[in-house]
Amino acid sequence: MLPEVGPLETKTLKTKSTTGEVSFLRGALGNKKFFSGFIILLAFTTIGIIGPFIAPYNPYNTSFPSWLPPTSAHLMGTDYIGHDVFTWFVIGTGTSLFVGAAVSLITTFLGTAAGLVSGYYSGMVDNILMRTVDVLLIMPTFPLLVILAVYLPPTNTTTIIILGVLSWPFMSRVIRSQVLTLKERPFISAAKLSGYSGKKILFSEIFPHLLPLIVINAVYIVVGAIVAQAGLAFFGLGNLASVNWGTSLYWAQSSDAIIYNAWWWIIPPGLSIAIIGIAANLFGSGLNEYVGQRSGEVR
Amino acid sequence: MITRKYLVTRTSYAVLTSAIALVINFLLPRLVPGNPVYTILLTKYHYLPPNQIKLLESEFGLQNPNLLYQFQRYIIELFHGNLGISYYYFPATVTNVIATHLPWTLFLLGTATAISSLVGVIIGKYIGWHSGTKGETAISALFMGLTSIPFFWIAVIFQLIFALYITHLLPISGAYSVTLVPSWNVAFILSVLRHSILPIFTLVLVSFPGFSLTMRNTMVNQNKEDYLTLAKAKGIPERLIVKNYAARNAVLPVATHIVLAFGYVVAGAFFVEVVFSYPGIGYALYVAVTSLDYPLVDGIFLVITLTVIIANFFADILYAYLDPRVELK
Repeated sequence: MLPEVGPLETKTLKTKSTTGEVSFLRGALGNKKFFSGFIILLAFTTIGIIGPFIAPYNPYNTSFPSWLPPTSAHLMGTDYIGHDVFTWFVIGTGTSLFVGAAVSLITTFLGTAAGLVSGYYSGMVDNILMRTVDVLLIMPTFPLLVILAVYLPPTNTTTIIILGVLSWPFMSRVIRSQVLTLKERPFISAAKLSGYSGKKILFSEIFPHLLPLIVINAVYIVVGAIVAQAGLAFFGLGNLASVNWGTSLYWAQSSDAIIYNAWWWIIPPGLSIAIIGIAANLFGSGLNEYVGQRSGEVR
Repeated sequence: MITRKYLVTRTSYAVLTSAIALVINFLLPRLVPGNPVYTILLTKYHYLPPNQIKLLESEFGLQNPNLLYQFQRYIIELFHGNLGISYYYFPATVTNVIATHLPWTLFLLGTATAISSLVGVIIGKYIGWHSGTKGETAISALFMGLTSIPFFWIAVIFQLIFALYITHLLPISGAYSVTLVPSWNVAFILSVLRHSILPIFTLVLVSFPGFSLTMRNTMVNQNKEDYLTLAKAKGIPERLIVKNYAARNAVLPVATHIVLAFGYVVAGAFFVEVVFSYPGIGYALYVAVTSLDYPLVDGIFLVITLTVIIANFFADILYAYLDPRVELK
């Protein structure tokens, strides 16, 4: 996380930042919105991680009767060829969250890097990066996603790479504008006067101030990617053999689950996406409020 | 104010983005390994005599493997409105398929955007003026939740409700009753309107909260402006302050949001069309994707992308014309 610093410095920085983060998190959890968002996201992450272990059946086991409504043996009933829906749900949670997190990792890395560089080193680099961003933002994403997914091999990795590479422009713009305001703050001038190198100012002075913003955006991107992946799957794109929320909805739609009134199959994935979306919003606005309070300024 | 610089920048962005779309549309199918004649047509027809393969190769412009030559041909054909022949709707051309499906999508999109921006601005104006109250906080939270629900899931839930619980009230699939022949008579128009209610309602429900929240935020910012303090000090009734002062200034950024959301709403319309089997361009794209109708996928990608880029361009110009304060970059 902090490259290009000597061993001694790394140690002092590490201890400082670890305790700082713990107390920061503790303080932020005092914010009701942040707390509830955090708990919901944590709950889904837990389901996602332990999903394969708590799944009662093999997801590909089709020996059960089709279209069973929920019972104690099948908490969420069964689908059109007798898969246990609860098994698909808990395993699917893991896959969907994994896709979301992986996309978020790529996007956050690219977006933060582009935003930092562009905001701090104005001029040619900034110009080229931001004009690229402008052009990419004009491009409507959905048709582009579809045509890429049609021609590239249908795997989850492809979906992750497409979504990750296409969603960084917006984030880089957010980060850049924040860097631009931070750059004018007195402590940066102080750091410059103390003879810090540009790289050091960027990573040890500006970057820590961006962390809350980066975390908020990263969480939003996780949700956005889950929705986008589900959307692609619903359109019959990506890896349809993968067990996730999107493919659940795709198979429900393509096997006329509505005619069989199989609400137990349709509701869980969609509702989960909605709840995760709300949780991300609570998490984000709560964190924003807390950071605003701490620095005594309202954003 | 529309300065020359603004016009030039916007135009160059639109042209550059369109060029990128063209290049993607040209290159992507050609980067896929294999000869399109063999990989695509042979899987469809299983066997073709050699002279026909030759004919197809020349038809595809493949006898000359020079990409630049192919690109030149591609551009020429494009300007003649030739996007190839659809496999699924054979013998219809891609241009034909798009032309028959596009009006339905424009109808859905136009109506839904008009309703949701109107509803969004009115509600946003109200909650923005009353920001900080308990009711406002609750509504804002609800709206944030609504914006994060996937379009297609809402559509599926509506279909479920209207298929099984409130039956026969509203049609849940298609654009008009199958017993009617399309024509400009009352029965047909009524049928079209009835069939459009659920798709439009779904689109409105998921897109208006975003407009409301933007309007709310700009209203809150207006509240801090000096001119509003002056208006209040002059004793102008609150109702008039909201209507004639705050809302007028707050509504312009919402216009930008509506434009930015356009691409998103287009995608939403596609999903809604798939769920309700509505014969628009999104449904055609779904059919093309699931039946591996590559020319149709390519054609729809190009038409939709270019449409959105052009719409954005005109919206930008209109916006600069409406709001003289628009930042000139």
